[in-house]
Amino acid sequence: MTSPSGRALISTSQLGHAYGDIVALHHLDFTVPNGRIGLVGANGAGKSTLIKVLLGILDPTEGSAQVLGIGVADDPIAVRARVGYMPEETCLPLAQTAADFTVYAAELAGIPTKAARQRASDVLTLVGLHEERFRYLGEFSTGMKQRAMLAQAIVHDPDLVFLDEPTAGLDPEGRTEMLSLIGRLGEFGINVLVSSHVLTDIETTCDWVIMLDGGRVLRSGPLTGITESDTVDVELLRDGGDGHDVIGALQRRGAEVEVRGSVLRVRSADDAFDLIRDALAETGAGEVPNDHRAGRCLRPGVQAARRSPPRPAGRHLRHRP
Amino acid sequence: MPWLLFGIALIPVIAVVGVSFFVEDVFSGVENPFANHGNIFTITASTFLIFTALAGPELLIPDRVEGVLAVYASRPMRVSDYLGARAAALAIAAGGFLVVPQLVLYVGLASLDDDGWFSGLVSNASDLPKILLAAFFYLLAYGAPAFLVAMFAKRLGPAWGVYLAFMWLSSGFAVAITSATTGIWKYSALAALSINPDIVMDWIFGRTTVREGLSGADFGPMWSVGIILGIAVITWIIGLRKYRSLL
Repeated sequence: MTSPSGRALISTSQLGHAYGDIVALHHLDFTVPNGRIGLVGANGAGKSTLIKVLLGILDPTEGSAQVLGIGVADDPIAVRARVGYMPEETCLPLAQTAADFTVYAAELAGIPTKAARQRASDVLTLVGLHEERFRYLGEFSTGMKQRAMLAQAIVHDPDLVFLDEPTAGLDPEGRTEMLSLIGRLGEFGINVLVSSHVLTDIETTCDWVIMLDGGRVLRSGPLTGITESDTVDVELLRDGGDGHDVIGALQRRGAEVEVRGSVLRVRSADDAFDLIRDALAETGAGEVPNDHRAGRCLRPGVQAARRSPPRPAGRHLRHRP
Repeated sequence: MPWLLFGIALIPVIAVVGVSFFVEDVFSGVENPFANHGNIFTITASTFLIFTALAGPELLIPDRVEGVLAVYASRPMRVSDYLGARAAALAIAAGGFLVVPQLVLYVGLASLDDDGWFSGLVSNASDLPKILLAAFFYLLAYGAPAFLVAMFAKRLGPAWGVYLAFMWLSSGFAVAITSATTGIWKYSALAALSINPDIVMDWIFGRTTVREGLSGADFGPMWSVGIILGIAVITWIIGLRKYRSLL
């Protein structure tokens, strides 16, 4: 749970944040160790807000948080001196070259110019942009921009880097490359907190996962404890009936299904996520409007399942541990 | 564009020093009425106003629109550091536009001094702090409104237009209202945003130049100083509040 020095990488106590009347984070209590931490949840679950609170960009409206043993509210500058941040939205000055911007990003962290140039060169090589380093960022593809954003986040050799949806907008190949890069950060002693709404990405890169839903922590623990679970809860909000079609499809695949109101508890010796995906694809139960909460959770996974039956591109099911 | 404007700002002073060299005998024993710092400030201030219209938005808008503020947000710096650095960048440019031509004039006039170059430098040394002080007020008077516009504009072109229109029209209206009215309306002269630093500069150099159209207002220069400082402080406070939610 803690680093070798005895400190947790991140810990929160009753942490909350609200945008006016809209509460984005509710009483978050968790502690995570060094390593690669996954922050998973649907869009609007509070992932980006949590990262901004941990960076000290947003003030917590209640509770407290510590990053690398430093109270975020007490000394946000000290926290920022030791972390990096790759935001979800693009953060690149389009009229600068990748090299110039990466050097500048290093200098902003207090690295002398000469050392910053060397580090920028090294980091751009690491992310695969060495050949492109003198091109303007405005000429970059989406994948190259993502890698440039990762480069600026790690150029000053932080102890911890926050990556907010680093694979957003990438094609499958770019996604794989980005996940590989994230996986390699540990080799350089950089701890990672990566947020994603795609559980598969977290599975690929992380060894600890925090699950957020509606601003609350559903679960925080080692990834192995989650992936080895044979039970998954799915909230079936609308399937045109009372769920019999989905239950039947699941049972035909050998799953035990327990109905708890609108929640189906699915238990299977096989991968329960795969069974649910196939059952939803068969019955069309996931075809719900996008503006519906479950729609955001279920529909992409079902569509992905139809395109590539052997393995979903991502798990978007609402998971209840 | 900045270098072009910088070149334009230097032309008058080079011309003044050059002409003074050739007509040195004409003004022998009397003060050259053209070759003085106040005149050069009046000329270069127009160029600096246009430069500020270009540079102010350029310093703030791209960072905000392109999301680069997120990078600053992840670095060990405060909002005041960011805004202060941007203001310093504008101040350095202001040095190029406002101070360098004055130094050229200072050295140029010293080289024409009857008692020799070094003697000219020494005898006119008291002009140096006045130059810096006047440049400071021009920077505040032109830079603060430029930043204020840039904090809210999303595109460069409209920001340039809004700023220049705001600066010129405010002064135009102030002059028009002050000339045509009496009584409490004379206070509208204080809204002459692009003229206020001229009034302060005249005061610093001890000039008695009466600013066209504002003579009826009969305000002392301290009013202009107050307006300039007030707008700068308000801009700083608004900037801190706005960027606190972004950085």
